[in-house]
Amino acid sequence: MAREAQKIISLEDGWCNNIKPNAINVLEDHLNRGFDKRTSQLFTPKDFMSTYTTCYDMCTQRSPYNWSEQLYDRHGETISQYLSGTVVNALREQHGEFLLKELVRRWSNHKIMNQWMQKFFQYLDRYYVKHHSLPSLKEAGLKHFKTLVYDVVKSTVVNAMLDVINKEREGTIIDRPLIGSCVELFESMGMGTLDSYVADLEEALLANTKDHYARKSQEWIETDSTPDYMIKAENALEAEKLRVANYLNPSTEAKLLRVCDDEMLEKREKILLEKEGSGCKVLLANDKSDDLSRMYRLFNRLPKGLEPMAEIIKDHITEMGNEIIKRREAKIEGGEKDTNQDPNFVKELLALHDKYMAVVNDQFAGNSLLQKALKEAFVDFVNRDVGKFKNADLMCSFCDRILKTGGEKLGDAEVEEYLAKVVQLFSYLTDKDLFAEIYRNQLARRLLNSRSASDDMERLMIGKLKLKCGSQFTSKMEGMMNDLAIGGDHEAAFSAYLKDGQETRKIDVAKIDFNVQVLTTGYWPAYKPMEVTLPSTMKKCTEVFKKYYAETTSKRRLGWSHTLGNVTIRAKYQKSYDLQVTTLQAAIVRIMKARKTIGHPQLVAEVLSQLSFFRPNPKVIKARIHGLIEREYLERDASQANHYNYLA
Amino acid sequence: MSALEEKSQAADAPADETEDTRSVHLVSQEGESFDIKVSVAKMSNLVKTMIDEDAEEDGDAQEIPLPNVKASVLSKVIEFCAHYKEDPMNEIEKPLKSANMHDVVQEWYAKFVEVQQETLFELILAANYMDIKPLLDLTCATVASMIKGKTAEEIRKTFNIVNDFTPEEEAQVREENKWCEDA
Repeated sequence: MAREAQKIISLEDGWCNNIKPNAINVLEDHLNRGFDKRTSQLFTPKDFMSTYTTCYDMCTQRSPYNWSEQLYDRHGETISQYLSGTVVNALREQHGEFLLKELVRRWSNHKIMNQWMQKFFQYLDRYYVKHHSLPSLKEAGLKHFKTLVYDVVKSTVVNAMLDVINKEREGTIIDRPLIGSCVELFESMGMGTLDSYVADLEEALLANTKDHYARKSQEWIETDSTPDYMIKAENALEAEKLRVANYLNPSTEAKLLRVCDDEMLEKREKILLEKEGSGCKVLLANDKSDDLSRMYRLFNRLPKGLEPMAEIIKDHITEMGNEIIKRREAKIEGGEKDTNQDPNFVKELLALHDKYMAVVNDQFAGNSLLQKALKEAFVDFVNRDVGKFKNADLMCSFCDRILKTGGEKLGDAEVEEYLAKVVQLFSYLTDKDLFAEIYRNQLARRLLNSRSASDDMERLMIGKLKLKCGSQFTSKMEGMMNDLAIGGDHEAAFSAYLKDGQETRKIDVAKIDFNVQVLTTGYWPAYKPMEVTLPSTMKKCTEVFKKYYAETTSKRRLGWSHTLGNVTIRAKYQKSYDLQVTTLQAAIVRIMKARKTIGHPQLVAEVLSQLSFFRPNPKVIKARIHGLIEREYLERDASQANHYNYLA
Repeated sequence: MSALEEKSQAADAPADETEDTRSVHLVSQEGESFDIKVSVAKMSNLVKTMIDEDAEEDGDAQEIPLPNVKASVLSKVIEFCAHYKEDPMNEIEKPLKSANMHDVVQEWYAKFVEVQQETLFELILAANYMDIKPLLDLTCATVASMIKGKTAEEIRKTFNIVNDFTPEEEAQVREENKWCEDA
């Protein structure tokens, strides 16, 4: 076999005549002089193969000429001697940044040396290292660097690195790749873990950072306003984040920023928020959007950092809201009439809500804690009622105003916007049932008097309320809307019934145009039935309708609410006018047309005598008079109390 | 169609493509040079450590001397590597499931090791020296297949080994390894 033909290589022959002079001395020479070629090409294949083959032969010779153990030891000794001699001596002479530069060069050299030494002795890795459970050649080389170089210089090196980093914090341009290379060394020294990096470098860096920002924030808090301080803090955070990206291990970012947050924000939060002339309240009062955004961004970084801010925001909005309430109170106390109509008051509340809703959404990113602060503030004052009318009533009446014809005269989009806002405000009411009750009464009035401007808008608003409070809450309102929708069908069916049926003879169709709106009991406010004696034509009409209704439906009972009725009467002066009035109003108008001016008791008395065929309640008559005043058919006489003038 | 396919394959494996255009010269003990593709040569971990990854493509092919490998053996090694690149050998199950290599690996590999003992041992040494794991597995398995199921005497005969034990020594070895015969 081939082996027998070769002569046995003795340890010293192989080492001294081949490995040492042809490989190790050449490699060390390259390391000391610097490289004039690529480090992967330091040895030609021919030179390299000669050394590899020598090692291979020395390791495959039979015992006692197998030199594996000796070569493994000499591999380690070669590296150790080079490190503790040449490398450590070179590092001892350097300080500060020069030390870092020298270390980085020596570390990079070591990686080259370790790589070539592994290549030369690679046959050891294949069997000897495995069989004896030894560190691989590469690991051994790395360990030597750690114990002989790294452990010796690391604390000096860390100090030098921190000096450079602090210089960068003060605005000096530094050699970032140099620090990056040092960091890479600390990372490598964990042999696959970050233990060395964390224990030897990161810990010191965090302590240093803490000191730095403790000092800085003390300086800033003494001289700067809250907005100025926040700008500096935010810039510092950004710079630290960039620092990690530039040359530190990514795992450091969270820890480093935590330290910064602690020193700059957590420890200074109270002072910053409450700083006189520039604290959170001042920023809110002066609409400092940018500063508020920044304040939110910064304190949102801290666990529970927003809580003190939320408290201030809540107090501020509550204060603003209470001012609106107080202004209304002052108005009423100042003698202004206390009615359920105060659109400006409602609009002020809406505007306040708009303003701070926008702040919460835009400046505070819709944060839920700050939304809650807004809500709590509104709940506080929206439920504070002053005067005779509840705020719920004022809000309902505001809706009524914009939903009925001849109210605010707004476009659909504006109406829709207002409704959405009122619903927001409504959601802060504690007594939502009261709102529902008033709303339903006003809705009924709009629907029965044909004063609702838009069916779509009515349904839209009911839909919004339903969304907030569930279908139970709005079922009656929806029922009312439905009655009215069906009402149209009834009207058509009934008039067809009149024309086609035998009943035609019984009603003089030309004389009276008769319509009935059927209302479902329960949906509508309870209307007191009133005993009336109807004119015979009317009476006949109701009987025909009753019959019609009984034929088309089953098990339904009809009751008549004459107070809700409307009559169109033709009045003939010089010209003829058609007047849309309720049944009672028709009588009132007839009297007023004749008298022009009349006192209240006489008017009631005349109405009662005119309508002798039925006896309306005087209270109802009074209400109708008011209705006519509202619609500007009558006015109160300015000179005589309790007198009315007729306005034709 | 086929042109397109070629293109997309090339795009998928750019590394292989550059390797395939490059070659190295493996030089035997006698100085005989074998020109082979880098991708094939890299089957040897030893050669792989020597390949200059950054070499320019049109530069001269690297010359890698293998002073421990004879030309006759090197040509067999190269034959193995080239075939392996086309049709990789199955993993060899251990313990060996048969004394017949045809039952252990594909036909081509079984035929490949139907060589004289001398050549087989030279292949083992070359595979070990050049660090070519599948070749070392195949050749060592072949030696194992020659031992499998044989008595000590048969094994001595197969490998031409002279029994240099004294009768006492032989008895002692038998005693120490009794467990093995029982199995």
